[in-house]
Amino acid sequence: MRIGLISLSSCQGCQMVFLGLEEYLYSFISENKVSYAPFLMDEKDLPEVDLVLVEGTVRNGDHFRKARLTRDKAASLVALGSCACFGGVQGLANMVSEEELIRRGFGDTLSFQGGPPGVKRLLPLDSYIKVDAFLPGCPPPAGLLRVFLQQVLSGELPSRDAATVCSECRVSSPALPQSGLRRMATERPQPGRCLLEQGFICMGPLTRDGCGARCPSELGVPCIGCRGPSQVVMTEPYADMRLESIRRLARATGHKTEEIEKEIKDPAQTFFKFCLAEPSLRRRRTGGTAPYIYRLGEEG
Amino acid sequence: MADILIEPVTRIIGSARVRVILNESNQPEGARFQAFGYRGFEQFVVGSHVDNLLPIVSRICGSDSVFHQIAAARAVEMCRGFTPPEGVLILRKLAMYAQLFERHAISLTMHSLPDLLFPSSDPGVRNIISIHRVDEEVARRVLDLKSLGTAVLAEVAGGGVHAVNFVPGGVIRGVDEEVRKKLIGRLEQAKPLLLETGRLIKMLLRRNEEAVNNLGIKPTAYLAIKGEGGMALEGDRLTVIKEDGASQEDLASGEIPERVEEIPKPHSHIKGVSLSRIGDIRVGALARLNVNRLYGTQMADEELDEIKSMWGFPLHQSMISHAARMVEMINAWEKMMEILREAPGEEVSSGLTISPGRGVGVVEGPEGTMIYDLVLDEEGRVRKLRITAPLQFNLPGLEGSLAEGAQNMFSGGELGERERNRLEMAVRAYAPCTLCGVH
Repeated sequence: MRIGLISLSSCQGCQMVFLGLEEYLYSFISENKVSYAPFLMDEKDLPEVDLVLVEGTVRNGDHFRKARLTRDKAASLVALGSCACFGGVQGLANMVSEEELIRRGFGDTLSFQGGPPGVKRLLPLDSYIKVDAFLPGCPPPAGLLRVFLQQVLSGELPSRDAATVCSECRVSSPALPQSGLRRMATERPQPGRCLLEQGFICMGPLTRDGCGARCPSELGVPCIGCRGPSQVVMTEPYADMRLESIRRLARATGHKTEEIEKEIKDPAQTFFKFCLAEPSLRRRRTGGTAPYIYRLGEEG
Repeated sequence: MADILIEPVTRIIGSARVRVILNESNQPEGARFQAFGYRGFEQFVVGSHVDNLLPIVSRICGSDSVFHQIAAARAVEMCRGFTPPEGVLILRKLAMYAQLFERHAISLTMHSLPDLLFPSSDPGVRNIISIHRVDEEVARRVLDLKSLGTAVLAEVAGGGVHAVNFVPGGVIRGVDEEVRKKLIGRLEQAKPLLLETGRLIKMLLRRNEEAVNNLGIKPTAYLAIKGEGGMALEGDRLTVIKEDGASQEDLASGEIPERVEEIPKPHSHIKGVSLSRIGDIRVGALARLNVNRLYGTQMADEELDEIKSMWGFPLHQSMISHAARMVEMINAWEKMMEILREAPGEEVSSGLTISPGRGVGVVEGPEGTMIYDLVLDEEGRVRKLRITAPLQFNLPGLEGSLAEGAQNMFSGGELGERERNRLEMAVRAYAPCTLCGVH
């Protein structure tokens, strides 16, 4: 197959995982023709390809043109990583308008010449072009990427998977009454036990699986939601990641939801770190991301 | 006549274009290195609890993520004047050397080696994938060097990209005996390959002398963390040296933000910076070498002697940064080995008491000095953050090297493919990360 690797606005961490596939990388580049990858080679224009992996999402007009062109030239297009799938961490920029973001970054007086216009609001890749398959994760674990590529090369286009990180987590979860919400910077959890039950903010119950729950079960750190919302959260119109998390924390700590809610003053960065830009979470009747997103047409 | 445009610059981290500006008589009078797509990390991190700070800033750059995390952690700690226990500092150091090794391996072998191996070949051949097609063994060997850094990083930092093991004040998990032995074994196995690659890079730089002498030789001032007895990636003392190598000024990390002057330009989202009372400076592998004068490990210092005898000292040729990167990989290998042999231990710190205030964290990232200037409020939330990425320091130097390159090669008319790639080589000499640049 002829393969293309493309980065839009991203951290290129997904390409780093691709380059870290070791043995599989060697067989991948032997068996396929990588014909476009600006990170690795000098081909300046994207040729026709059978499969393209797109990392990142659209930040400005250049990215938009590149995304459209890529769609035209590629038979199959994969959104690689949480930026392409849900907007990723950079989607947190949606808390303010594009003009305000630039003003805060560069001051009032500077106007850019010859640069592409910025998008009004950051959105996932499939808001601009048709995406054939999604592999979220920030970054997707190497094992998952390998299996995904094997599936894609065999002609299958895997759909978004369904269960949550908790379904893969191997910690025990005895009831441990806690004094309240706990933070990683100031306290350490007991290893091998459910972090949520210990009062830490763990996004496992609301985050899609596939990562093997390595953070909570092996490394002892809470899930921060890097694989994006689970299928239930994506499709259930009343699912509210913030409220669900707060309810669980309240139950674990024996506190009222209002008390927990009051303590978490950065809900956008805490509960929607990787998916503030995901439109399906914005259009919720209750909850969702709308309260944190700058409304088009308003100042600031 | 219209300016000469190279777009996109390939084989770099991120995306950028080069514009060579021609004067009325059609001669290059300057050059620009441009990137757009400002992402606003400094803005949307405001309001975050410190628990969210490291996971967010890590996403500025996949290949420099540990450096962003540690600079941020250090800034949080400095709000309180807190120094983490020795065990924590050692594990951080190990992770930084691992990521530096990985990142240099990418810049050297995947981005620049093809230029040095095939300076006049067809652009279609000039990449690691084509090398793999022709000689699988060679490509495997150079890619294995990158994998070595990734392997150490994955174990020590809890993830090869966007590590989860570091928090302000501490580390979640130590390195157990089994992992330690495994990593020592893997490092030992890679030693011949590392030294062989070192010889290859030196030999290729000698063979490409014309590129070395034409793509930026102008002396500049340099800034780097001053280590005790050799190069260091973390520390609270920095030194500026003058063009002739004489020390000009020592600075405490806390003083740096006041001295950094941003120079926003309308043609790019990368904000160049200079140091007040000094002017333009360069940072990175060459700067670290010029400032510290030695690495403090045996093999690296032997290599350094050879480099000094070949190219002089202080070193100003930006292409010689490749040699400096190679020696830093050897130095990183020795440091990683030393730390792992001394058994960093499994016991690491407990939590930190968060204090409001201002803190500055400075690290030496692969590309150069990186600064986090942070203000925390009473609730442990970010009130203000200013990040200065290495490319911001290097921007005037990089554009200067591009201008030198263009002036040396251009004699009117169009630039051919070879000359265009020469200018891209001048860029790659800085191993710039535009992702960090447009954070």
